[in-house]
Amino acid sequence: MGNCKPFALDLAGDQSGLPHYEPPPCQVACPIGTDVASYVGLIWAGDKESALEAITATNPLSAICGRVCDAPCEPACRRTASDGPVAIRALKRWVLDSLGPTFELPAVPVTKSKRVAIVGAGPAGLTAAQDIALAGYAVDLYEAQSKPGGMATWGIPDFRLPPGVVAEDVDRILKRCPGITLHLNTPLGAGGVTLAHLSQSHDAVLLAIGASLGKRLGVPGDDLANVMDGVTFLNRINGGERPILPAHVVVVGGGDVAMDACRTAKRLPGVKTVTVLYRRGPDEIPARKYELEAAIAEGVEILYNVAPKAISEKDGGLSITCVKTALGAAGSDGRRAFSMVEGSEFEIPCGLLVAAVGQKSASLELATHGLMEGDIIATRAADMGTRMTGVYAAGDAAFGPSTLVQAMAQGHKAAYYVLAALEGEAHPVPYRVPYRTRNVPVAQDPLWEKLPHAEPPFLGLGKEPFADAEANYDDRTAHEQAARCYRCDTETGSADYSVKTREAIFRMARVDAGPTDFATITRERLAMRPHAPLAGRATFDELVFLPANLTRLVIDPYREACKARTDLGPGLDLAQPMLVAGFETAPEPIRASVANAIAASGGAHLGRAPVGAGVPWLQIVDPGEAVDPRAAAVVVRAGATGALALPTAAVPGQRVGLIVTAETVATALPFAVEAKADLVVLDGSGHLGGTWADLAGAPDLSLLPKAVGLLRTLGAEERFPLIWFGGLRSGTDLAKALALGANAGAIDVAAGLALGGAIGPGGLVFDGVEGRAAEASLGSFLKAVVSECSMMARCTGKTDVHNLEPEDLRSISLAAQTATGIVMAGLKKIA
Amino acid sequence: MVTIDLSKLSVREANAAFGAAGERGEDIEVLNPDARHHIGVGLVAPVTVKVRGSAGYFCAGLSHGARFEIDSNVGWGVGDSLYEGAVIVGGNAGAIAGVGLRGGEVVVKGNLGSRGGQVMKAGTLLACGNAGFLAGYMMYGGRIIILGNSGERVGEDMSAGEIYVGGEVQSLGSDAKLVEPSEADIASVKAFLTKYGIDFSGTFKKIVNAGTKLRYGVNEPVSRPLPHTVFSEADTYWNAKVAEDIHAKSLIGRYRIRGYGASKPVPHFGDIALKIDPARVAAASDALAKVKLATKIGDRHGAKPLELSMPVMIAPMSYGALSKSTKIALARASRLAGIVENTGEGGMLDEQRAEAKQLIFQCLSGRLGWNIHDMRRADGIEIYISQGAKPGLGGQLMAKKVTKELARVRGIPEGIDLRSPSRHPDIMGADDLVIKVEEFREATAYSKPISIKMGAGRVRDDIKIAYKDGFDFVQLDGLQGSTGAASTEVLENVGIPTLAAIQEALDGLREIDAKGDMPIVLMGGIKDGVDAVKALALGASAVAMGTAAIIAGGCISCMQCHVGNCVVGIATQDPEHEARYQIDVQSKAIARFFEVVRWQIATLVAALGYDDFRDLSRDDLVALTPEAAAITGLPYDPTWADKAEALFREVA
Repeated sequence: MGNCKPFALDLAGDQSGLPHYEPPPCQVACPIGTDVASYVGLIWAGDKESALEAITATNPLSAICGRVCDAPCEPACRRTASDGPVAIRALKRWVLDSLGPTFELPAVPVTKSKRVAIVGAGPAGLTAAQDIALAGYAVDLYEAQSKPGGMATWGIPDFRLPPGVVAEDVDRILKRCPGITLHLNTPLGAGGVTLAHLSQSHDAVLLAIGASLGKRLGVPGDDLANVMDGVTFLNRINGGERPILPAHVVVVGGGDVAMDACRTAKRLPGVKTVTVLYRRGPDEIPARKYELEAAIAEGVEILYNVAPKAISEKDGGLSITCVKTALGAAGSDGRRAFSMVEGSEFEIPCGLLVAAVGQKSASLELATHGLMEGDIIATRAADMGTRMTGVYAAGDAAFGPSTLVQAMAQGHKAAYYVLAALEGEAHPVPYRVPYRTRNVPVAQDPLWEKLPHAEPPFLGLGKEPFADAEANYDDRTAHEQAARCYRCDTETGSADYSVKTREAIFRMARVDAGPTDFATITRERLAMRPHAPLAGRATFDELVFLPANLTRLVIDPYREACKARTDLGPGLDLAQPMLVAGFETAPEPIRASVANAIAASGGAHLGRAPVGAGVPWLQIVDPGEAVDPRAAAVVVRAGATGALALPTAAVPGQRVGLIVTAETVATALPFAVEAKADLVVLDGSGHLGGTWADLAGAPDLSLLPKAVGLLRTLGAEERFPLIWFGGLRSGTDLAKALALGANAGAIDVAAGLALGGAIGPGGLVFDGVEGRAAEASLGSFLKAVVSECSMMARCTGKTDVHNLEPEDLRSISLAAQTATGIVMAGLKKIA
Repeated sequence: MVTIDLSKLSVREANAAFGAAGERGEDIEVLNPDARHHIGVGLVAPVTVKVRGSAGYFCAGLSHGARFEIDSNVGWGVGDSLYEGAVIVGGNAGAIAGVGLRGGEVVVKGNLGSRGGQVMKAGTLLACGNAGFLAGYMMYGGRIIILGNSGERVGEDMSAGEIYVGGEVQSLGSDAKLVEPSEADIASVKAFLTKYGIDFSGTFKKIVNAGTKLRYGVNEPVSRPLPHTVFSEADTYWNAKVAEDIHAKSLIGRYRIRGYGASKPVPHFGDIALKIDPARVAAASDALAKVKLATKIGDRHGAKPLELSMPVMIAPMSYGALSKSTKIALARASRLAGIVENTGEGGMLDEQRAEAKQLIFQCLSGRLGWNIHDMRRADGIEIYISQGAKPGLGGQLMAKKVTKELARVRGIPEGIDLRSPSRHPDIMGADDLVIKVEEFREATAYSKPISIKMGAGRVRDDIKIAYKDGFDFVQLDGLQGSTGAASTEVLENVGIPTLAAIQEALDGLREIDAKGDMPIVLMGGIKDGVDAVKALALGASAVAMGTAAIIAGGCISCMQCHVGNCVVGIATQDPEHEARYQIDVQSKAIARFFEVVRWQIATLVAALGYDDFRDLSRDDLVALTPEAAAITGLPYDPTWADKAEALFREVA
C-alpha cells in the first residue's frame, strides 16, 4: 500500500488521458482530485485497507475531512438530482474511524540537503510540509499557537471535529515525515521568527499563516464589550474555555463559521436562546444545508432578511437595532443584492453578539516587507510566488478564506512549485490536479437503484454537549451507501457509448457550456481513434445474421415453432443440435451431472470415455485405440501424417467417422468421402480429444467453409453430418456454425462454466460445485442455447435451425470475410 | 341520405364524400361497391352507411361511431381498429375480421376467415357461422362470439379477453383454456345476440387465457454491466463477460434480456473521417448564421411535410420503455429544437402531443394504443416493421412497467409481461403493405407523411420494396440501435451496422434508378453532430438520435432498462423512481444538447467549405479502417484523423 510518490509532483500519476478513463464529476469537483469512485467501490467490496489507501493518497487530513469537509463532491454527484448524492464524506469517516487511528505509512527519511521553512501548521502548511518532506527535504514548520492544525484545531468546534481526530492526522504526517520539525508557539515576527531570518536560513519559505482574525461588523457599537467576532469566540471555546454566557446570544452571519458559532453557543452554560441574523433569504444562505439543518435541529432560531444597523448597551446587556432587507436582482457575483427597508427598524435585546461576518489575514511582519495586499498576501496563482523571490504563499492567507480542502489543494500546489524551484526547474509544467483511478469493479448490489440516501445518525445536543453531534455509519449502512454509487468512471459494456462519449454528451448538455466548449468537445470527438482491431483469428462475433424484414417474413414465435431436431444418423437422432464434449477428467459427480443434463436435453456426448449410461455417446479414439461397443459412434483423430483409417465398428450399426482439423482437412476429408465415413467432426480448436480443448482460444473458423467447399468439389455435400467443435459460447455461435454448414455443434468449456466451474491454470475446476445444482445449471444452459439458436433462425425467417445457410450471414470484419468467405455487409461486391 | 356510386367515384373521392356527409349527419348509401378496399375508412361520425354489395379490405377500418351495414361479404380486416360503432356484415368476412378492435361491435352473419379478432383490445366480434384458424390470436381484451365451430388453435396466446364458442372447439391455442361461463356471461352474450336479432339456442364454451406464458419463471438477478474493454479475441476468448453470460443462462434457462444496443465494437462512424480543407477552416466561425440547416421531409406524395430546423429527429421510443416524464421532456426538447418527436410503440400521450410541435405516430404489430383520433392529431404516420436493436422480434415490456395508465393508453390489461407479435396481422408481404399504406392515407385524407421504420437486414432489397410501396421516407436503423429490452443475442448479432445500412440503402435505390427520390433518416448509434455530418455526407437525408438524447437527459447507461427500476427515472414506470426525473431540468438539457448538435453540423459543414448541409457528399469522407472502406467504398486513408485534429485547433 501507498508506494505512490509525493503526488504533487507525480503528474505522471494522472490517468485522465487513458483510453478508458474519464474522471467522474465527484473527482473533478474535489480540489485535491480524490479518487472517490474507487474508494466507494472498495468500501462496498469490503476492502477497507485499499479504500483507505485511495483516500489518503492525495489527502493528508483524511480523518479531518471525514468529519468536516464541505464535500464539493456531493453536489457534483450525478445521483444528487435523482434521490440524493452518494454520502461521500460520511463514507470516508466510516473508513477512517475504523482504520485511521492505527494507520501508518513507512517513514520517508531526509535525503536532500536543502531546507524549507513553512509558516503556519494549518491544512495548507501541513499538506505542503508532507509533500516537500516526502520528496526528501527537511521542513521547519512554524506554528504561532500551542497546537498544530490551524482552523481545524481552533476554528471548528469539538462536537464536529473532536481534538483527537486532528491529532490523528497530524501525528500520521509527522510520523511518516521525520524530516518535518514542528516549532510550536513560534509566530511570524516579534517573539518568533522573522521573514528575513527564514529567507537566510532556508532555501524556500512558504507562508501559510491562515486568516484567523475575525472581521468587525462595521456598525456603531461593534466594539462594545459583549460584542465578539466569530473566530475569537470559537478559538476560546476550542481552547477549552466553557464560560457561562447570557441567556440570549445573537450570531450575525450565514456562513459555516456562523453555524459553528451558534451551535457552540447553544451548548454553553447559561444560554437559553440563540438567534442567527442573516441579511438575505433562506435560498441565499451560504452555510451548508447539513450544518443549517443541524443548527435548526438543535434549537437555533434563524432570522432571514435582517441586518444589524447599530448596537447599544441596554439593561446590562445589548440591544441590536436591526432593519429588514429586501432582495434585488443577482449581481455580477451571482448573489442577489439587498437593500434596507426604510422604517422597518426594530430592536433585538441580547446578552452577547457574535459577529461571524468573515475573516482576514494580518501580519505586521509581512506588511513591513510589502507582501500584503489588503487582508491577504499578494500571491501569484500561476506559481504561488509572492513579491519576494523564494517566498511562496498558500491557504486562506494567500487567496482569502476558503474551505479546508481548498487549503489542502493550495498546499499541494505550492509544494509543487517550491519543489520545482528546489530542483532547479525554472519552467515546470503547470500544476494540475492529477486524476487517478484504481479500476475498482462496480458494486454488484441488486438494490443499488433502490437504496435511499441515508445521512449519518444525527445526535445533536446530548448529555455531553461537546461530544460528537453526528454518529458514524454502522457497517451495513456504509455498505449500502457505497452500493448507491453510479460509478460514472466506469465503462458499462458498450463500445459505442464509452465513458468518454457519454461524458462528451453530458458536457454538450451542460448549462454553462459555450462555443469554446463546443469546439473543444467537437475537436476531441474528431480526434477519437477507431477501436483497435481485434487481435488474433476472426471470431463468431464478427458475423451477423440478416434479419427478415420486407423481402421475407419473420417467423412469429407465438405461432410457428422453429424446429431444432437433429438427425446425425441411426442411434443419433437428437432433439437438438448441441452436444457436450470432453469431461474425461472431471470429478465423478460432475460427470454424472453432465450425463443427466445431456439426457434431459436430448443431446449426445462426444468424448474419450462415456459420462454415463443412457446418453448417446460418440467415442473419440486415437488411431489403433480400442473401440467401445457402448458407443453410438466412434470418431478417430486423423493424424497429419501416417495412413488414414476409419475405426472398425465394434458392434453392427455403430457409426464411424473422423475428427478433422485445419491441418488435416485437405487429406482427411477426401478420405472420409472415399471411405464412406458416417460422420465427421470438424475440430476448430485443433485439440479435441485433449483436456478442455476449447481453452485453446479462438477457433479456426476457416475450417468449416473449407470443409464444406471441399465436399462440394467432391460432389459429396451432405454425404455425412458435420459436427463443429471450437469456440461455441452460445446458441448464437451454434446458429452461425449451422449457417456455415455444420449439422451440430459441441462444447466443453462452455458446458464446464455452465456447471459452475471456473477456469484454472490446468483447466476447469469445480470446487464446491454441487452435483444436482450443476445438473440443473447445465440443463438450463442447453435449453437457453437451443432457444437462442432457434431465435436466430426465426429472425432470418427460418422455421428450422437446419435451414440456416451462409446467405443468412454477413461479415463485419475483413478477417471474418477471409476466414469464412462470408461477404462484408455494405457495398456490393462484384465477383 | 347521400348516395355514392363507386362505379363513378374513386374510393378516395368516396371517403371524402363520406366525411362531408358525416359532418352533416347524413346517412350514406354506397352503390356498386365492387369489393373495393378501404370503404368508409377513417369515418368519424354517428351515421349509417349501407353498402349495397361486397366490400374489400379494411371496410369501416379506423372509424368511430358509424354503423356500417354491408349486404354481402367483406375482405380482410373488416372493422380494423374500430374505436366505437357497429359493422354488420351480411355475408362472410375474410381474415383478421375485427383486427385490433378498440371498441364497438363487428357482427358477421356468415363465417370468419382466419385470425379473427387478432390483437383486439375491446368490443365484440361475432361470427354467426364458423371461424377460421387462430381466432382470438394474441388478443389483449374484448369478446369474440362464435356460434359455429371455433377453428384450430382458438385463443392462441391470448393475453386477456374472452371467447365464446357455440359449436365445436376444434383445438385450443397455446396458453388458452376452457372455463365454465357464468350465468352473467351467458346473459350478456344472449343480450348481444338479441340486439342484433340473432336466434341461437345452443350452449357456449368459454375460452380464456391460461396464464402459463405471460410471466417468466425465473428472473435473472440484477447485475451491473462488466466493462467492455475485454472482448473475445486471441488470449481473452473465455473472458469474464463470457463466463458471466454462461452463468446467467445456466440459471434462467433462456436467452438473456437487457436494454441498450450492441455493445461490441462494429465498424461505425468513428471509423470514417471528415476531409476538412485547411484553407476553409477559418470560415467555420459564425457558421450557425451562415449554413442552411432547415429541411422538409415527407411530401413525396403530396402530404404536408415535417419541417426540421436541422436534419435531425428524435428516434422512436415508446412511453412504456420510457417513463411518461421522459417522453414529455423529449417532446418539449423537440419543440425547443425545432425537430420532430416520435411516439414509438405504445400510443400517444396527451401531454406528449401538447408538448411536441411535430409528432410521428407509430403503428406496430400489436396495434398498441393505435386509433384514428391519435392518427388525426399526429403530424406523421409510421409503420414499424422492425428496429435495429431487435429486428425480427416483437416488442417486449416487462410486467413491472405495465402500469394502470400505460395499460389504459395501450388498451391492454395491467401487469402482464407484454409481448407483441413479430409481424403485423395484415402485412404478409409487400403487396399487403401497399394496401396498408393506402388505408392510412385514406384514414388521414392523404394529408400526413407516411414513413416506414425498419432495422437493417437485407437493406438493398428491403429498400426497394419500401420505395415501391409508396412511403414518403424511411427510418433506417442499424445494428447499433438501442432498445428498452431485447435479447442480448439479437442485440449483438442480428442486423448489419448502421454504416453498412445506409450504403446498402442508397445502392438499392440507385439500382432501381430511384436515387434521391425517397429520403432516408438514418439512426443507430448516432451520438452527436459529428456522426450526423458523416451520415449526411454518406447520403442520409436526416438522422435520428435516441440514446444520445436520453443520455443528454440524464441516462447513465447502466443498461438495466429492462428491470424497470431506472435509477434516474427514465426507463421506469415506478412512481418513486420516475419522481427522480425532473422534466423541466432534463428537457432543457436535451434541448441544449441538440443546440450543440446544430452548432456541430453547421460548423463542420462550414469547415468543409459549404453553406448548405445538402452540399455534403462522399467526397468529404475517408475511411480510417479497411473495414469501413470495404463497407462504404470510401478511400482508405488512416492518416486523415490527425489532419482533421490539427485543423480543428483553428475553429472557435
